[in-house]
Amino acid sequence: MDAIRLTNVVKKYGPVVAVEKLSLSVRAGTMFGFLGPNGSGKSTTIGCMTGLLDPSSGQIEILGQRFDADSAAIKRRIGVMPETLGLFEPLYAHEFLAFVARMFGLDETTTRRRVTELLEALELTDTSKTLSEYSTGMRKRVAFAAAVIHSPEVLFLDEPFESIDPAGVSLMKQWLRRFTDQGRTVFITSHVLETVERICTEVAIITQPGKLVWQGDINVLQHNGQEFDSLESLFLHLTGERSADLNWL
Amino acid sequence: MWAKTRSRNGRIALFMVGYLLVVLLIALLAAGGLAAGIVAIHAGQAERIVQTVLFALFLQAVFASNIMGFGLNAIFSDTELRRYPLAALDRRLARHLIGIVDPFWFFFLALEFGLAAGISVMGVGSFWRGTIAVLLLFISNYLFANVVALFVDRLMQRKGGPAIMLAVILALSLGPSLLAPVLKNNPAILPAVVARLQYTPPFGAAAAIVHYDMTAVYGFVTMAVWIVGLALLLIVLEKRAPQRQAAASVEMSWQSIFDRAGGLFGPRIGPFVGHWLRFYLRNTRTRLMALISLPILTFITVRTSERLGPHGLFVAALGTFPMATFMWTSRIAVNQFGYVGGAFRRYLLLPIEPVDIIRAASYASVALGALVLPIVLLAWIAFAPGPIDARMLVMLACSGITGLFAFNALGIWITLFNPRRGKYNSSFGNDLSLGGNIVVIGGVLSAFFLPTVLYRAWPDAVSPDFWRMILPLPLFAAAFYIGSLKAAGPIFTARREQLLAMVEGKA
Repeated sequence: MDAIRLTNVVKKYGPVVAVEKLSLSVRAGTMFGFLGPNGSGKSTTIGCMTGLLDPSSGQIEILGQRFDADSAAIKRRIGVMPETLGLFEPLYAHEFLAFVARMFGLDETTTRRRVTELLEALELTDTSKTLSEYSTGMRKRVAFAAAVIHSPEVLFLDEPFESIDPAGVSLMKQWLRRFTDQGRTVFITSHVLETVERICTEVAIITQPGKLVWQGDINVLQHNGQEFDSLESLFLHLTGERSADLNWL
Repeated sequence: MWAKTRSRNGRIALFMVGYLLVVLLIALLAAGGLAAGIVAIHAGQAERIVQTVLFALFLQAVFASNIMGFGLNAIFSDTELRRYPLAALDRRLARHLIGIVDPFWFFFLALEFGLAAGISVMGVGSFWRGTIAVLLLFISNYLFANVVALFVDRLMQRKGGPAIMLAVILALSLGPSLLAPVLKNNPAILPAVVARLQYTPPFGAAAAIVHYDMTAVYGFVTMAVWIVGLALLLIVLEKRAPQRQAAASVEMSWQSIFDRAGGLFGPRIGPFVGHWLRFYLRNTRTRLMALISLPILTFITVRTSERLGPHGLFVAALGTFPMATFMWTSRIAVNQFGYVGGAFRRYLLLPIEPVDIIRAASYASVALGALVLPIVLLAWIAFAPGPIDARMLVMLACSGITGLFAFNALGIWITLFNPRRGKYNSSFGNDLSLGGNIVVIGGVLSAFFLPTVLYRAWPDAVSPDFWRMILPLPLFAAAFYIGSLKAAGPIFTARREQLLAMVEGKA
């Protein structure tokens, strides 16, 4: 069964096309890497898949449901870590996570247990600081905790590993592997190709404007009969290597 | 018409209209100042009138900038300017030179300049000396307002600061009323007070404008000393890092008063309302307004009543009761998403209907406003002179409820159509959109003037004998509020991408 299915999705901002006829399907239980250069439309695509943005045309189905039918029902089953994190700065970490948990309908006992466990596991137990006073890495960990606190079936992570220390990344990877082992789906965008290569089972690459140029198994890196030894070489082949000679630099 | 204003030509036309209006206003103010100067000469009390006018303008500028937030907006913070290769002095100068170029300060400058010009036209004082004196007064006024703002900001961050602030506000609000009889009974005090005021910038400016001799030099020196002193004080205050009230660890509380209050709104929306209550009450400016609004409104009620004769206090209270319900939450109520920053994205990811997002924010504002109503009614019962008239209580409650619902309904529309990205933590500065300002200032002015106008034009409308006439008003206001909430749902859904772009600073 497909956890995510996009059919001819187009997203336009006025005359600017951000995503162009994107069709994509992600099987349940997959750790899916969604790659593309800066400004290629990755975050816009995630925005459309999570109900933040309305696609200009095309269809999006998450776990077999469409947003226009019952957006709240889909949102209850997905977890999202946006690139901009979406934190309420004046709150303390436990207040923020408890708020998110309650909004997802968790009862009080579960809320307290999960918040405490997540804060301890992610080393966020410093309760003297509000979120605005946290470092970028700590804020990212809070956003990750908010995405998983209700134990969603599909997890969307937009650039989840940047700014997080190696120990934190390692822990998050363990959790994500266990997550997919249970048949749940993770949809990740990242510029750290080594990490994507190590944890993802399937990858899609898009170029500007949101155009799918490759999708396949991470173990079979082929394009037009040509084999590639790493995800990076395939990515550069598809998106184009850049060079600029700045003599003054 | 609306579509036309969105076009390039429409925007240019709007800008020109705005520019011409501002120029016209400045010209009018300058003319007013000129007339005041001429009157001062004709009255034969040039120095006294100039002193009084300049002193009143000076204080008004300080109060208006600190309470209404005009003229204190820093376009760039020191942190933002640090990315450029600028020395500390350059950064400070850049911030304050941009800060002083604000229409708010120019309105005051125009009045003061007009006054100095009027004095010189009538042959007392030189034009150029008057101009320099007004410019120095202008600078000292700007510095003084900033020093007061920073001082209050730092005070509010300290433990016990809000209590001290309340005492100061009470003293400022009630002081004139308490001092008036003392001055009346002891007229000798007044010259002594005036003599002390010689050392203030407005009196220094007055001396520099009116006199030719050493008194003028003394006036210039007074202002120069104040400018240097205030500039140094401002630097010291700016260098002092803001202190956090809660430096120690916070104990994890799972069921705060906000969560319990939010729970009253049901399991679906309750946690969200609780979140909004916390968002409102953790805001320094909301807390400051909560402290100062009631003393200020008491002062306004008493002062207004003095001009209205019998039932004057009641008529004035009919105007201030609605203000009490919305004044302290007004900034966020008319710009609900302008202060949440990137967290607005989180709202849209929560498993709730879009209409609930705007409902929760608005319910929190209404709930907080409604809390004030019993307090002011009890204050009325306790302190109003004469026997308690139940009809008056009903009318006051109706007036308060009408203001509460009408203001929050308008707040919903401004939130949807004219939001503006603001800084949640800023204690000062006016960061509302044009629509937000119109609703807040218009709301205050309407509440203030409407009962007085009615009292003069149609006294029965505000008479307890005709108390039933006011009963439909809260019903109309509630219907307007409920209708606005209902209509807001689909509009919010349709406009959420634009709101997201605005809130995240991408529009």
